[in-house]
Amino acid sequence: MNGKRENRIDKIVSDLLRGRRLKLRGGDAEEKGAITAAARLAAARQGSQRMHPAFRKSLASLLEQEPKQDRVTRRAALVAGLGLAAGVAGGTLLGRATQPGIMPVAGATIDPVNGRWIDVAAMSDLVEGQGKRVKAGGVGAFLFRRGQTVTAVSSICSHLPCELWWDRSNTHLACPCHPASFHPDGKPTDGYALPALNPVQVRVTTAGRIEVLGTE
Amino acid sequence: MTSEEPASEPGQVLQLPTSARATDIALDELELVYAFIYARVGNRADAQDLTQQVALKAIPRLREGAPASAIRGYLFATARSVLGAFWSTRLGLSESELREDLAMPIALGPPSEEGTETVQQILAQLSDNYRRVLELRFLHGYSLKEVASEMKSTVGAIKVMQLRALRAAAKVRPE
Repeated sequence: MNGKRENRIDKIVSDLLRGRRLKLRGGDAEEKGAITAAARLAAARQGSQRMHPAFRKSLASLLEQEPKQDRVTRRAALVAGLGLAAGVAGGTLLGRATQPGIMPVAGATIDPVNGRWIDVAAMSDLVEGQGKRVKAGGVGAFLFRRGQTVTAVSSICSHLPCELWWDRSNTHLACPCHPASFHPDGKPTDGYALPALNPVQVRVTTAGRIEVLGTE
Repeated sequence: MTSEEPASEPGQVLQLPTSARATDIALDELELVYAFIYARVGNRADAQDLTQQVALKAIPRLREGAPASAIRGYLFATARSVLGAFWSTRLGLSESELREDLAMPIALGPPSEEGTETVQQILAQLSDNYRRVLELRFLHGYSLKEVASEMKSTVGAIKVMQLRALRAAAKVRPE
C-alpha cells in the first residue's frame, strides 16, 4: 500500500489541476493532510474565485423563489435531496454513517403494493457483465446477467434521488449528480459508505423472458 | 451535533422576501462563502455544490429577517459545517477527527487573495526541495515529467517527493 500512495496522491493532484471534482476513497483518509493541502494549493493556483455568472443566477433564483413555495413541501424536498447532501443537522447523518465500524444499512428490496411482474427483456438481450436499464412501470432497475442468473438493483442512487447510468468502461453504476458509484450487486464502489442500492425482484421465465416486479 | 448558529445580535433587519436588493446582499455574502469554500476544495464543481448547500440551509434564516450583523457569521458557520460534512463523507472520517482542519479563519472583507497568501506562507516554511516541487506542480502547472526534468530527477522520485511535500505542508500552521 505504502508504495502506491504516491501514485494515488498524484492521481488526486492531477485531477485537481485539471479542475475536476475531488473523488476520494475510504483508504485516502490516511493521507487526509496531504489531500487537503493539495486542494488548497490547487485553489491558490487559480487565485481568489468568484461565482460563475450562471451559478450566481441560479442561486438568485433559489433565493427569490423560495418564499413562493409551500414551505413544508419545499423543506421536505430539500431534506430528501440536497438537504441530505448538506447533512441534516450539520452533516451528522452522513458523518456518522462514515465513521469506521458503522456500516451503512443495505437498502430494502423493492416490494410494491399491488406489484405485478412486468416483462422487460429477453435473456438474449443481456450481455454478461454489462448492466441494462429497464422500467417496470414505476420501478426503474438495472439488470445484470451472470450465466443463467439475473439480478436487479434499483436505478435510483441511494445518496441523491438521481437516475444512475451504466459506466461501461468502469463497469459500475455511476450517479450523474455526485461522485458516487455502485457495483452491479448494489454495493458502493468506494469508501464513501453510502447505503447499498435497493434490490429489485426479478425472475426468468421458461421462455427465456425476464420479468421485474414492478407496478402498472 | 448541530450547525453552529451564532446568537442573534441586535442590528439592522434585512427585508429579504420582497426586496431584490436583499437578494443582492445575500448573493454578495454568498460570494464570500464561495471564495472561502473554493480555497479549501480547489475545484469549481464541489465549491458550487457546497455553496448551494449553504444557501439552502440559510434561506429560512435569511427569510426570518435576521440582523445583518449575524448574516455573515451564520453563513460562515454553516459553510464550516457543510465543509466538515464534505470532508468527513469523502474521507470516511468523523467530523471530530477533522476538527483541527476546520479551525479556519473567517473572511471579513470582500474576496481577497487570502488563500494565495496563506499558501505562500506555507510554502515559505518548507525545505527548498519540497517548496520547489509544489511551486512547479501547483503554481506553475508543470507535469510530473516537467518537474523531474527541471529538478534533474526521475518521475518516480518526484512523485514520492510530492507526497512528502504535501504531508509537510499539511503540518505547517500559517501565521
